Order: sequence, then structure tokens, then C-alpha cells
Amino acid sequence: MWWWIPLRSLWRNRRRALLSVAVIGLGTAISLFVLGFVESSRALIQQSTVQEYANLQIASPDLWNDTGQGYEYLISPDDAARITAILTTDSAYSGSTQELQFAGLLAAGNQTQVVNVTAIAPENGVLDFRDLVTDGRGLTASDAASVVIGRSLADRLSVAVGDVVTLTATTVAGAYNASPFRIVGIYRFTSEQFEGQVLFVPLAFAQALLDTQGVDRIVVALSRIGETAPAKRRIGDALAAAALPYEPRSWDELSPFYRQLSSYFDALFGFLTLAVSVLVFFIILQVLTLAFLERTREIGTLRALGTTRGEVFRLFFTESVWLALVGSAAGIGAGLLLGLVFNAVGIEWQPPGTIEPVKLAVTLGITTAIVPFCVSLVATLLSALYPSIQASRLSVVDSLRVD
Amino acid sequence: MVQATGRFCHIHGERFLETEDLTKTYKVGTQEVYALRGVRFAADQGDFIVINGPSGSGKTTFLNLIAVIDRPTSGEVKIEGVATSQQSERQLAILRKTKIGLIFQSFNLIPVLSASENVEYPLLLLQVPKRERRERVAQLLGEVGISDLATRRPSELSGGQRQRVAIARALISAPKLVLADEPTANLDSETGGAVMDLMRKLNEEHCVTFIVVTHDPAVSSYARRRVRIHDGTLREGATDVVVDTAS
Repeated sequence: MWWWIPLRSLWRNRRRALLSVAVIGLGTAISLFVLGFVESSRALIQQSTVQEYANLQIASPDLWNDTGQGYEYLISPDDAARITAILTTDSAYSGSTQELQFAGLLAAGNQTQVVNVTAIAPENGVLDFRDLVTDGRGLTASDAASVVIGRSLADRLSVAVGDVVTLTATTVAGAYNASPFRIVGIYRFTSEQFEGQVLFVPLAFAQALLDTQGVDRIVVALSRIGETAPAKRRIGDALAAAALPYEPRSWDELSPFYRQLSSYFDALFGFLTLAVSVLVFFIILQVLTLAFLERTREIGTLRALGTTRGEVFRLFFTESVWLALVGSAAGIGAGLLLGLVFNAVGIEWQPPGTIEPVKLAVTLGITTAIVPFCVSLVATLLSALYPSIQASRLSVVDSLRVD
Repeated sequence: MVQATGRFCHIHGERFLETEDLTKTYKVGTQEVYALRGVRFAADQGDFIVINGPSGSGKTTFLNLIAVIDRPTSGEVKIEGVATSQQSERQLAILRKTKIGLIFQSFNLIPVLSASENVEYPLLLLQVPKRERRERVAQLLGEVGISDLATRRPSELSGGQRQRVAIARALISAPKLVLADEPTANLDSETGGAVMDLMRKLNEEHCVTFIVVTHDPAVSSYARRRVRIHDGTLREGATDVVVDTAS
């Protein structure tokens, strides 16, 4: 009774019920679309960030916190071997490589540019940036004084594949050292800033340039991105247990840009969802208040027949539960359809600071649908509370007098 | 329209309802207006009482108070000897659904329910099992002569048919008291007569106490007791209260 009488009441007032369902559905669809878009954008940036940092990086806290003197933070070959041994025992471990990053000066002709050098083990299979190369080739194991530079930097220095540039850096002892490098490849990346500053050289040659056997970090690839946080915890514990003074950091911790953008997305979605929910709340409140007011005499009759206040509340609130369920479900359906159409159209947009346009997309799925569905459900049910309570508290005699 | 037959419930005589100094006032602006003034009244099980009086005399107010859908300003309504003035809204609701059936002037059927579902509703409140509900509804619809209209919605029924549904609804939970407020007011005289015949028949067959409020003199002919209410006063044995035995 508590389900089918409300359902019939809604059917009887089909026009009003449809209006309510449409409002709830529209709100849900907007929330779903916005969340889908935010999640899609977040996934794109996540992918690009992991492409830049891998899943985890392990280094000395001195490096992470920018403390200590000179190259004190470097990881010795012995420690690097012990860390790698620990990593291989982790269930999520997929691969690892060593890196050495340092600042230097790149000179080409009469132009000089401050650069960030990333020395990598060529063809390491974890993070060797080979798939970013658009001209020439990536670094290979047989390369010595070879360098891969970004398209923006190449354009700025007017150099091309095959040209020779000079890289100057400070050795671990504090002396200047310089060496000529041949450009073997030019890469492109999603960030213009990255392209203009970062270049890649073979690790062995960089160690020779800096006169060290050490590396500054160990880069770790995991089987799944979702494993990052638990793997970080496990590896951190294992390093501490082995008395190795190194600390793992995840890709999202390493990228301030991702963190900021992620916070912005959360705020954007939160604000839009709140605004839509408030709108749905007040419209449904108004619709239900009017609807219940028109049924004052019916409420009086129900009460006169012996229906308790609680039962009247239940009857009227159940109508809202139906509205909320149908409206939210319809909204999810409409949102998914809208998302499918949007994805099929394939709109492209070039974000500021990027080198290539990206295809805008909406992530569609159960997990994306849960939040908008629940938010609409809650907003509708909250808006139904007041009119339902009012309906249950009407005076029987006064209600029966209403025509 | 048939006249009263003079047959009444054989267990007639047990006191079911009493009122003591029942007073109801309303505030109109700064003035207090009396709708009822110290009414003393009693009804026994199986009674068929017609209360008449002019418009505004307090008939409906009195009916609302003994139906426990309204509370008196002072005085007491006792049902089966139990005072109701201190009972909670919930207790009064339970009292209504178990012991009192109501018939309204405008029928007041639930528009979204069919005739049989309207009749079934009080049994739903009483959580009667489905099979028993269906059996009792079918039987009562037969008694009031609308078995063939069971699936129709109120909007698909005539005034007389609606009132028959309302009577069946009032009786379905086997209440001891049925209160009817102007049950024939929205019906033509022939249909009104048929409805009153039905109520009288059910009174005789089910030993249900009927109290009918009306200003229609034709309805009074069905009464075992006729009580007149005027300016909110109603006193047993007084000149403005006419207590007749119809038979």
C-alpha cells in the first residue's frame, strides 16, 4: 500500500509528476555530464603526469625537501641495488630504472639556455620517453654523448637532429665540466614549458660529466595506476625496515600542477553540483508544496479514516521517493546519452601552455553515475521533507473543510 | 423511498457513546463564538439517531467532536466509557480506524483508488490479510449493491454510487459507530432514499450505531431517535430536543 498508492497519486497528477521528473532529471544529467567531463580531463592529465614521472620515485628526503649540501642526496650504487631488490618483491612492481637530474647550460652557436637535464638509462622500458620523439630517434644503449631535446628548445636554439650542442654542468666536487652532445632526437610533450626546459641524455655519460657513480632517484613503474598509494606505503615501510634513508613519492605528489588542477576540478564539480542541487531542491519544494496543498481535503479524509500522522507522512514522502528514483534514473540516462553524443562529435580544444589540441571527452560509467544519482536523490528527498511533514500535521477538521 | 420498518438490532441497549458538557468555541476576531454549549448526549449500540437542525446550529461541529477528529474546548467525549480528551493524536487515529466509520456529505473517496480499493483502505490500515480483505470487500460491495462497479474510479461513478462506496468503506472495518454528515445532501431524493434505506438495513443487520446529521426532514423518518440541535444546545428531554421512537 505504501508504495502503490503514492505511485497512483503520481500517475493521476501526471503533468506535475513529469515536470518534477524533468527537473530532477535535468539536474542529474548536468551533474553527470560535468563530472564525466572533469573525470575525463583528470584522467588525461593523470596519464600525462604518469608519463612524465612514472608511478613512484624513490629519493633521499634531502632531494625531496631541497635540503643538504651539493649532491649529498645522491644514491650510491650499493643502495640503488638494495632498493631495487626490495622493489622486485612488491606485488605491484612492474619495473624500475635510475635517473639523475641536474641543471646545466646548453649552448648552441652563440645562444645559451638554462636547462634541466634528465639522465636516463636508455631503452629502460620504464620511463625512457622514446615514444615522445617526433624527429630523429630516442636514446639507445650504445649512445654516449647524445641528447634528445624538446621541440620548443630546438626552435629557440635553432638546432635540429644531427647538430652538436655543448652542455655545461657542475661536478659533484663543484668544478665546471662541459661536453659536446649530438642531438639524436627531438621530442614533443603536452607541456610547452617542459619541452622548452627538459632534455634527455644517457645516464652513464651524465655520471661521467658530473664525475659520480650515483643517481638521484629510482623511478618505479607499477602494474596499475590504482596501486600507487598502497605500493608507496608498502615500499616506504620496506625501505624503513631495511634502514635505507630514502622515501618514495607518488606521481601526484611529484606534480604540483596535477594537484592544483585536481583541486580546481573538485571545486568546480562541487560548486556546480551544489548549485544544481539547490535549484532542484527549491523547484521540487515548490512543486510538492503546491501539489500537497491541492490535496488538503484528501489528507483530511485519510486522517479521518484513521490514518496516523506518520502514515500520512509516509504516503506523501513515498511519492517523493518515486519521483527521486525515477527522476535521478532518467537523468542518468539522459546524461549518458548526452555524453555519448558529445564523445561521438569529438570536439577538440587546445589548453593554454600545451602544444597540441586535445579531444574533449566525457567519462561514462557506473562510478561516474553514482555521485550525481545520489546527490539528486538526496536533494529531492530533502526538498520533500517539509511538505510531507506539513501534510501530516494538517488539522483533520480544517482539511475536510477545504473544497 | 421506503419507510422505516421498525426492525432494530436485537442487542440494542449497551451504552457506546457519551458526551459530558461538551463545549466548542471559535475565536472570531476578538470575540468567542459558541458552536456547542455544554452538550450532554448518549447513544447506545444499535441506535439509529438522526440529529437535525438549521444550518449553523452546530450539527457538524458536534459530529466532528464525537468522531474524535476535533477536540472540544471543554467537556468530554467518552467512547465505550473511555474519555478521549487526553488521548494523543495517534490514539485517536487508532480509535477512529477501529471503532468509528465516517460517511461524508461529499463522499470524500480517494480519487486514485477504485471503488473496491476505497472500501479496502481501512482494512489496509488495520493490516488485515489480503485474502480476508478481498472477501470482506466483495461481500460488502454486494450488500450495498455495487459489486459490478468494483473496479471503477470515483470519477466514473454517480453520486449515489459514490455514497454507496462511502457507506461500504465506513462499515468494512466493522465499526460500532457510523457517523454520517448530510449523507443525502448531494443526492436526488430517490437516490437519497435508497441510501437511507441501505443505512437502515445495515443498522438492522450489523447492529451498528448510526448517527446521522442532516437538515433534511425526509431523513428523519428513518430515525429511531430524533434529536434537534439549535444554537449549539442539545439536551435530552428538553423542549429543543425531540426524542422519538420511530416505530
